Amino acid sequence: MAVEKGIRLGPVSLDSLLGTGSARDALRGFSRVYIGPEFCEELLDESLCREAVRLSGLGKKVCLLTPMLGERGAAKLDRVFAGLAALAAKGRLRPAGLEITVNDFGAVELAAKRRLPFRLNAGRLLRDNVFDTTGKPLKVHNGAALEFFRSIGITRFEIPAIGALPVSNFREGRRYGFDRRSFRVTLHYPYLDLTTTRACPTGLRDAVPGGRNDRAACARECLIGPFELRHPMIKEKLLIRGNAVFLEFPEKFYSSERQLAALNIDRLVYSPFP
Amino acid sequence: MRIVSCFSDIKELGPLAEAGADEFYTAARELPAFHSGELPLSRLPGAIELAHSLGRKISVAVNALLATATVRQLAAVEKGVRRLDDAGADSFIFASPYLLRMFSAPGRKLRAALHLSSVQPVFNSRAAAFFARFGVSRFILPNQLDPREAGPLLAFCRERGIGTEIFDYRFFGCVYVNGRCQLHKPGHYTTRRGLPEGAMCRVSAGAGGLVRPLPPDLPRRAAEFPGILARLERRLTPCGAPRFSDAAAFFDLLSAGVGYLKYGTRRDAPAAKVSKVRAMRAMISLAESLRARLPAAAARREFIAEMSRWNGGGL
Repeated sequence: MAVEKGIRLGPVSLDSLLGTGSARDALRGFSRVYIGPEFCEELLDESLCREAVRLSGLGKKVCLLTPMLGERGAAKLDRVFAGLAALAAKGRLRPAGLEITVNDFGAVELAAKRRLPFRLNAGRLLRDNVFDTTGKPLKVHNGAALEFFRSIGITRFEIPAIGALPVSNFREGRRYGFDRRSFRVTLHYPYLDLTTTRACPTGLRDAVPGGRNDRAACARECLIGPFELRHPMIKEKLLIRGNAVFLEFPEKFYSSERQLAALNIDRLVYSPFP
Repeated sequence: MRIVSCFSDIKELGPLAEAGADEFYTAARELPAFHSGELPLSRLPGAIELAHSLGRKISVAVNALLATATVRQLAAVEKGVRRLDDAGADSFIFASPYLLRMFSAPGRKLRAALHLSSVQPVFNSRAAAFFARFGVSRFILPNQLDPREAGPLLAFCRERGIGTEIFDYRFFGCVYVNGRCQLHKPGHYTTRRGLPEGAMCRVSAGAGGLVRPLPPDLPRRAAEFPGILARLERRLTPCGAPRFSDAAAFFDLLSAGVGYLKYGTRRDAPAAKVSKVRAMRAMISLAESLRARLPAAAARREFIAEMSRWNGGGL
């Protein structure tokens, strides 16, 4: 099984990457490019449609990451979905060349409403619905959990690097009621998204007493750079980017593609930034 | 607005009802819940009977998201849920979509109502529409729901007769999104010492040296780092994290028609539970009386001022 290699641009916009003139070099070796905000709906906008078309023109397959959604975020995502559907209808985006990763069940609903011709994946924020990645072994909850996602058209699941590549219960499909051939796993590395909040510690303005926090008032401080957090109770350094907290696992975590195959991982996605 | 109170011992039901609880909920030891239950499943039929004799409804939380189960274990979960369904439980609280699907499928539907746990957070009306298909009759809303954005979600629920429930902001609330957080599970990192309650999300350290910037991705905006750093330091130390769930949010959501207020710290001692339910009743009465006698903006202002003086009363 060949392992597909992807790169997640994260805070770097395609425009800035192309502006350096080194986009082709930066993207060399990666057949799929992950664009879009995985953790914050404030970063959603219709420029993602243009990025998808440009990457497609560079011969790359694309995966659009979408975040957890409030009502405003859902409206923004709906506009992005409408744009993508129109591009597909005009033949400017091949349905097979674009996937959409959802991190909110509202996005599944929006995709169905728009009858999007693109494949959907379950994102890292939904992983607890299918896997227990917190213990060893890594476990699929059971066949019913996989079947639920299959019923909404999702058979690919994204998980983060979780330190050493673990053993899993994937060989115990009969005991847990699933067929391991029925799903695929995308592994994001080297950062594990440990937690996220809608009250962004980086960008949210302070509310006046009796007033309300205004999430829309952020100045996209998350794009400026990450911060290192020394939690007094955690030995490892944590990283904060915007509204998400990460752990980094920089060491090589697998010895062979065969080892990845044992975990149904047929796609690796590298994040240069948390 | 009605009060939903947790309980962990059948003896608590009478005093909690007297204190103002309109409904109860708990979890069974043998069923997968976000916090495991103290009561064995065998004692819940008795609790259901007592709750009903007090004129109260009762829910059972089966709201683990990490609901890993072998085929055999899952059969036992199903058997346990159906036993409580037969015993008259009024509703079950689920978070895992597969359990929700299992108990709402044609031919397998429960008699009891289905509530969606805040551990499966719904922040928008589209997600509500997604879960409404499974016959959910009440959404327990996450405490990071911004009241300004809740309108379409609440309207969706109102139009379909779906109930909505929030937590009392004084007794529950983490800044991180429940159900999308692994900070509280030290499976991915190593700890220096034991983990006191709340220690992971409210970093117990004084400000200074807690956070440092890494090389910026946008050097032209690096001058903003000191301001952001100060904001992060303040917010990551005790009580500094911004929250959407506060007195203003409670007032707004009550005014918008949210029907239920929940208190869910099952580990609290019985007396603390009773005190908290009384405090909830007092808060609802205050909000409703202010709304009845003052214009909306003045009532809101007065309510926030009153609640900012609330000091816990020994809780």
